[in-house]
Amino acid sequence: MNATPAQPSKPTTKQQRQAARDAKLAEFRAKEARRKRTRGIAIGAGVVALVAVIGLLVTAIVLTPKPATYAAGGTGETIEGVETFDNAAGHVEGAVDYPQTPPAGGEHNPVWLNCGVYDEPVPNEAAVHSLEHGALWVTYDAEKVTDDELATLKSKLPSTYVVLSPFTGLDAPIVLSGWNTQLKLDDAADPRIPAFFEEYWQSQHVPEPGAPCTGACDAPGKVS
Amino acid sequence: MSEPRSEPEPGRAPEPRAGRTRTAALVVGALVAIVVVGLVAFSIGRLSALSATTPGETSAEAGFARDMQVHHQQGVELALIVRQSSDDPAVRLLADDIAATQAQQSGQLAGWLNVWGLPQYSAEPSMSWMTRGGGHSAHTPGQPMPGLATPGQIARLKAASGADADRIFLELMIAHHEGAVEMAEALVDRSQHEVALAFANAVITSQRSEIELMNSMLAERGGAPVVLPAS
Repeated sequence: MNATPAQPSKPTTKQQRQAARDAKLAEFRAKEARRKRTRGIAIGAGVVALVAVIGLLVTAIVLTPKPATYAAGGTGETIEGVETFDNAAGHVEGAVDYPQTPPAGGEHNPVWLNCGVYDEPVPNEAAVHSLEHGALWVTYDAEKVTDDELATLKSKLPSTYVVLSPFTGLDAPIVLSGWNTQLKLDDAADPRIPAFFEEYWQSQHVPEPGAPCTGACDAPGKVS
Repeated sequence: MSEPRSEPEPGRAPEPRAGRTRTAALVVGALVAIVVVGLVAFSIGRLSALSATTPGETSAEAGFARDMQVHHQQGVELALIVRQSSDDPAVRLLADDIAATQAQQSGQLAGWLNVWGLPQYSAEPSMSWMTRGGGHSAHTPGQPMPGLATPGQIARLKAASGADADRIFLELMIAHHEGAVEMAEALVDRSQHEVALAFANAVITSQRSEIELMNSMLAERGGAPVVLPAS
């Protein structure tokens, strides 16, 4: 039987092979395209997921608060020049010989000194009792600190739990003392003053935190 | 964070060992999954802590905890002064009540700051927190807190005795309480912190009722009711 041109019936073997190859090629190309698309989607999804996870992580780190760097009542190591001591507490009558000048803790008078500004030296034994209650004692050499410097110093002090008084025989113009801690300074504008207050003012590590700094004795020379 | 995707290594994986490549892919995939789950869990954990945030250095809560301590400490001081000079049992009982309550509350406030890892002292002036956020009762930082007695007023109370001391005390304490209520209201306007809000609301309720009590006590003792300037 001969194949008539008008009737496209059985193709030749060659044509058959060609068609088979074409079909295979088309199938392969389709497969390849599908594979590429799937891969594209997978990569896209992967990138989106990665960005989402990183975004979430960054959000979590940026939005949540930083841990406080301040350690309440720490050792004061971060404030340059702060000395710490190991004085014991206890009530005694009469004068006490203190190892630090001005005293920074130790035995003291049963009556504490009312906090405030004094323009005369105050009794050591009463002031130390106020340190035991969490007050800070700011002492200055009246011969070296000018009125302007004194005003600068005052402007940094909180309204309570501070005794400000002149002191004779200081080896620095300004000395800040708390219970068993002390900082000697030359300058009323020294940034270590607020740092010292942050660390030690009304510290929870004094023997009697929260005990009053009022209602006991006013020494002579109390200005406010 | 981003583990490399498993790439079949054509040179090293001979035909029969295709299984090994798949195992490697699975292992890497599992590792990536573990890392991703870990990061997501970490982030969600941190973000969930946002609702229970610890107040920061310049927060209203920290400012309130500091300034209200100063305020309460003076409340204790005034009460203890009249406790010694008054002969009136009702005034002495009121003074006991105020001194004990305000000393205990002052201790709570100090404890918050300790727990939050914040200093009792703030480098910025007192009342600065009341100038930020919230609607009303803005104050000038560094100015005296509302209701705080001046050194002169305290000296006057110390110098007085008997019925005079009672009247001066009641007048000072009414103004003192009004100021504390104002500060507590300022915190309520600015805070979401459960413990701080409970404290502030207790101060508002209890001190308001004590103001009424003190006004009636003052009237009984011949004093004129305290009229405060509108804030």
